[in-house]
Amino acid sequence: MAADRGPRSAKGPKGEARANARASTPTPTTPSRNVLYLPLALSAVIGALAFLPRVQANPRLTFSVWGAVAVLLAWLAVLYVRLKRTDEGRSFVAVLRKQHYIQACVQLSIYAYWGWYWRPVYEFAGLFLAQLAFAYAFDMLLSWSRHQNYTLGFGPFPIVFSTNLFIWFKDDWFYLQFLMLAVGFVGKEFVRWEREGKRVHIFNPSAFTLGLFSLVLIATGTTDLTWGPDIASTLTLAPYIYTYLFAVGLVCLYFFSITLLTGAAAAVLFGGSWVYAAVTGVPYFIDSEIPAAVFLGLHLLVTDPSTSPRTPPGKLLFGAMYGGGVLALYGLLSSSGVPTHYDKLLCVPLLNLSIRGIDALVARLRASPAWGSLRLEWAFGRPNPAYMGIWVVFFLSMAALGRADGRHTGDSLPFWEQACAEDRSNACERLLRLEATYCGDASAWACNELGVAYTEGRLTTADADLAAGYFSRACELRFQAACVNLLDPTRTSRAEPRLLDLRLLLREGGLNRMGDTEGEIYARACEHGWTFACSRVAVSL
Amino acid sequence: MSSFLKRWPALAALGLVAAVWLALRLAPASPADAEAAATPPVELPVELPGFRADSWFLPDEDLLGFVQVPGGAFVMGSDAGVDPLAFDIERWSPTAAQGTVDVPTFYLGRYEVTVAQYAAFVRATGYRVADAGALTGRPNFPVASVSWTDALAYARWLGEMLAGSAATPAPLARLLGGGWRVTLPTEAEWEKAARGADTRIYPWGNEPRAERANYQGPGPTRVGAFECPECPYGLADMSGNVWEWTRSPYQPYPYDPTDDTQGLDAEALWVMRGGSFSDGPQNIRAGVRGGADPGARRPFIGFRVALSRP
Repeated sequence: MAADRGPRSAKGPKGEARANARASTPTPTTPSRNVLYLPLALSAVIGALAFLPRVQANPRLTFSVWGAVAVLLAWLAVLYVRLKRTDEGRSFVAVLRKQHYIQACVQLSIYAYWGWYWRPVYEFAGLFLAQLAFAYAFDMLLSWSRHQNYTLGFGPFPIVFSTNLFIWFKDDWFYLQFLMLAVGFVGKEFVRWEREGKRVHIFNPSAFTLGLFSLVLIATGTTDLTWGPDIASTLTLAPYIYTYLFAVGLVCLYFFSITLLTGAAAAVLFGGSWVYAAVTGVPYFIDSEIPAAVFLGLHLLVTDPSTSPRTPPGKLLFGAMYGGGVLALYGLLSSSGVPTHYDKLLCVPLLNLSIRGIDALVARLRASPAWGSLRLEWAFGRPNPAYMGIWVVFFLSMAALGRADGRHTGDSLPFWEQACAEDRSNACERLLRLEATYCGDASAWACNELGVAYTEGRLTTADADLAAGYFSRACELRFQAACVNLLDPTRTSRAEPRLLDLRLLLREGGLNRMGDTEGEIYARACEHGWTFACSRVAVSL
Repeated sequence: MSSFLKRWPALAALGLVAAVWLALRLAPASPADAEAAATPPVELPVELPGFRADSWFLPDEDLLGFVQVPGGAFVMGSDAGVDPLAFDIERWSPTAAQGTVDVPTFYLGRYEVTVAQYAAFVRATGYRVADAGALTGRPNFPVASVSWTDALAYARWLGEMLAGSAATPAPLARLLGGGWRVTLPTEAEWEKAARGADTRIYPWGNEPRAERANYQGPGPTRVGAFECPECPYGLADMSGNVWEWTRSPYQPYPYDPTDDTQGLDAEALWVMRGGSFSDGPQNIRAGVRGGADPGARRPFIGFRVALSRP
């Protein structure tokens, strides 16, 4: 969500407007150059964090953190000289906005829960802190370079937290993480338009920079510079993550009246996914009804009141467009061979750009005779808790049907093998993609299956060199059938997955099965449709 | 500036896109990626005495170093009564110390595959060198630090090169045209080539001889450096220098030529033969059997290629 700037910020719905009105009453401090000690202190904090073992472990990461400090100090020096020359000062005003601190609390609770099951999140804490300090210092310097006053509050928190919920640059490129934050603030400051008589930023800052970086990462073929896919897939390591996101999301829905937006997006995604599965016999998203990261996005990424429509029909339309956009982008990205986790990020800036059009459309619709005859004004005039009630019933229904935290059909490789054999829509392509993922994770069985596929040329175009590469990898992982395939390319040998392979193949989106007993693994494999495993369950128990 | 930004927010956004694009394009590769992507310097000599630079540095001989090993039976395994250094794994069966195996005619490389030959393969194909040590030896030294899969990849490539080259000697081209394949020898082929038709313990006789092979030494030597007129078929370095991969899985005797591709559920090791420069006399015997992971890359493991009937 956005970090708005006090008196110049756009007013949201009634409750939000009241909050802002209350918040805008504090008076600014007396202008002084002493306020520059604040970004100086923040730079010192970032510099101190460079000495953390986590940062020191990678020289490039250390350099990135020091680089951020150097940029801030240089900017600070230039600003100080300018202010001294003109004998000016700068001031700030403390304004605590509900949409910032509530949003930040919700995001923090998600990090806490997720990090409990995926420890890199906790290990990242120092770098979160460094980013927060950088965000505050950057925002202050940007503001004081252009204005007299800086609104000090919790604004940078949701921007930093929201950005990091979707993309982390790997340690070797961490300076781009600082750049990504900077672009978010620059976008908020400079890319503005007139809306309802006020000059406001067009884009949700975190969504803008995430969308922008996603676009460029894809276009430059550098998607592997980030931990994006890992972030998206490890969310499901936390049990009942959908229920958890739903529960904490209710807080945002209640306080910011965005139920129609979130609900419409979820309904389109669930509905679209269901219709696709009903027509084709295979799920739309490979391993879930709605990917957990998308579910997160529709609660916390797309719901900034400042950059989404104000009216209930507008919110409904906006949410539906987000759901449709994610569905379309997922299809587009997967058919282009691009990592699909960018689906939830790319469409948000475009949607932000569309809100004036949505507002205008809603105004026209309201003026039409059909609007009155269909009693839509009444329908859209219900209080937010009424919509929340519908949303709760909807989600609980989905959960009861196993469409949320339940095991998903697409988690099962035998399902995709069967679907491929039956020539269902895109099933062979997805089977190969899944096997490539598992092969990359060191499942020798999956590598051998890929080698067989590229040797036989049934599921994809035959490619002897590619096949040899997959067989080599599988063989080096001691999968005997693959070694035999290397020896005799004229015929192909296959074997059932080994216990180690099954531990990898049964992760269901990220579960760690390395500690499971042999019996548990075979039992789970049997549930997944590995028939050979069923006969081994009794033996191993 | 600010009026421009007010009027043209889309252009400003495009400017940001361009800036980010530039940042990412200029992002240097990480050390880890750079290491993975870097092809070690593949230096090939202009000339190498005894080898043909125009034929992938194969030996300058009529059959480019392939030596015929005539078909027929030979005695495989070790008799601890005759060879006190024999390991149990070399015993043929509970009732017999050794067994007889009939091996069809095949061809075996006179020398172990050299660094220059392997470098020619890497340069031609861009094959990933997982252990840079493979190419650090001198050109006429045996290539080492290569896995079983690397060895097979080289053999496959060499077969394709020889089959497609007009410069390939006619007898060799005929064999390749008839379906013969360049591959690794089976362990039976290897042992027959090392031992010949009699039951000698070492390729030159029954006693270790320091002047016949590179063993118990500080490192590998150039291929063929040790003269061995007594060795069968004129093959060099069948004992010592580097262990040599075979295409046989490591299984208990009796050896069965038909079972090399069975037991797919197992996680077999693959047999290597001949011992290396770092081994003592016990491990350089013709009958000794070593086993290693197919992905193992060690400075004392190399290979030689065979030409086998389909």
